[in-house]
Amino acid sequence: MLELVDITRSFRVGPGTMPILRGVTLRLEAGQLVSIMGGSGSGKSTLMNIIGLLDKPTGGEYRIDGQDVLQAEARALSRLRNRLIGFVFQSFFLLPRLNAWRNVALPLQYRGLPEAEAKRRAIAMLGRVGLADRVEHMPAMLSGGQKQRVAIARALVGEPAVVLADEPTGALDPKVSQEIMALFLALKRELNVLILIITHDPGVAAQCERRLLLAEGTIAEQPPC
Amino acid sequence: MLSRVVVEAAANLVASRQRSALALLGILIGAAAVIAMLNIGAIARNETVRQFRQLGTDVLTLRVDAPSGLGSFRLADVEAVPQEIPAVLDIAPFVLGGATLLHEGMTGMGTQLGVTASFASVARLRLREGRFISAHDRFELYIVLGAGLAQQLSAPYAPVRVGSQLRQGRYVFTVIGILEPVLQSPMMPVDVDGTAFVSIANMRRLMPDPQLSMAVARIHPEADPGAVMAALQRSFAPKLRDATLSLQSAKQLLAGMQGQMQLFTLLLGTVGGIALVLGGVGVMNIMLVSVAERKREIGVRLAIGAAPGDIRLLFLAEAVILSLAGGALGVLLGLGGAYAFAGASGWQYIFSPSAAPLGAGVSVAVGIFFGFYPAVMAARLDPIEALRSE
Repeated sequence: MLELVDITRSFRVGPGTMPILRGVTLRLEAGQLVSIMGGSGSGKSTLMNIIGLLDKPTGGEYRIDGQDVLQAEARALSRLRNRLIGFVFQSFFLLPRLNAWRNVALPLQYRGLPEAEAKRRAIAMLGRVGLADRVEHMPAMLSGGQKQRVAIARALVGEPAVVLADEPTGALDPKVSQEIMALFLALKRELNVLILIITHDPGVAAQCERRLLLAEGTIAEQPPC
Repeated sequence: MLSRVVVEAAANLVASRQRSALALLGILIGAAAVIAMLNIGAIARNETVRQFRQLGTDVLTLRVDAPSGLGSFRLADVEAVPQEIPAVLDIAPFVLGGATLLHEGMTGMGTQLGVTASFASVARLRLREGRFISAHDRFELYIVLGAGLAQQLSAPYAPVRVGSQLRQGRYVFTVIGILEPVLQSPMMPVDVDGTAFVSIANMRRLMPDPQLSMAVARIHPEADPGAVMAALQRSFAPKLRDATLSLQSAKQLLAGMQGQMQLFTLLLGTVGGIALVLGGVGVMNIMLVSVAERKREIGVRLAIGAAPGDIRLLFLAEAVILSLAGGALGVLLGLGGAYAFAGASGWQYIFSPSAAPLGAGVSVAVGIFFGFYPAVMAARLDPIEALRSE
């Protein structure tokens, strides 16, 4: 379970400060597919960076599974990110010099798992996202949809508490986008994981069971479709 | 963990092979320069010692200088030295001149020494055939030839042998001995290979005013050359009147030359070291470019849980692998260069067993030193900024 209480974030601009998040309170449960929508400058990326433990808020509380994650120092933060968060990016961000299974195994290797075990789990996860026959392929040999499946496998292989997907279908055509959303729905049920999708696409948001709207630094629940 | 980092670092280097090759080249040249210079220094030192080894280091040379040119010993004074100074085991005075010899239409030009019988033992000459000048044939027209001069005088159909007749001026000498080839010693005023030896009495026939101006002495191996030289000065001072005695000790000369060689090696090593440092700067440059180009990759790694230390290790591993590969190739090239140098200069090649560990160690040190800053830069990147970079 992910819990944000009165999160604020402001940035120093010249002599003053500019508030981006003005008190975001949010409680998200495992096994949910949640979308966060918002216009440009609404603070989507800032919120995602805070939830993803890449940035710290100016104020407020943040707990994952009851654990206060704001107290962690740099090294502990890396460990928490590795165990609790999975990232899916719009442009996939696969490492071009590593093949599919090595890309997927990377979080496990940073966790210190032996290579054989990391490989076994990476290949199993690639099987779950429908790429059992592409494990040795280099990213350059994969289509856009396949690359995003590898990225999803990489986000899920470490059994995180939350997967943060930043415009995961933004670089894909409508048919492949639909396939990726279907995959998210299947995996959140199968793995009982919280999947948080940041999007500007109402069509994508409509497929999520909870829809949140971020506007002027505060968050509001949208009615179900 | 470390092996995976090494494999990944190596794969990254292979992926940008052109850039890696350039950085590697810098280290290669630097390491090759260090190893070649140190190896050549060792070869030169060995060569110096080898030159002395044949004659030995228990040798002194004596020379009398008169106010106007060369002075002269009295033969009896020189021959009395071993009785006067027991540390001097044997002494051989000699007259130095030049010789033009004829044999079967061949002409040989070389130095000529008028010597006593003791010269062969003091100068440790070895005979290929025949015998040396003895005390009994002082007035006989006998001659002993150095190996080079004997070869110079040999006609294809009539090689110079013991018994061959050589003409020098009005005299015909009979060859009674030919020496083994020897290395030229820094202690000997002449190249023994190109020298003709006759008795001192015969030098008086050949030269209008021969001067017995030099001598070579063998001293007790345990004796202090400085003390022996002082004793010789004391002994000869009243006998030489206004002439002065110059002395040179093989041990002191060798020590001086070895000191110079060490300085020479140090200088060469420093030149190589500078080349290696420049190679290291090249590695740093390439690694900084690599960090700048791979910002997004670093951001992704940090986002999925890599600690800053993991990033540092990856980039440091790349720098060390580059340096180690360059160093290994540099060691081979350096040893090869030293081998070629020894061959070209006619010196004896000696392999320096310390070259490989030294080359590897210095290269790794250069890799760590010059790779550290780019690695730290990579590890300090803000993941949000890194993920945003194009």
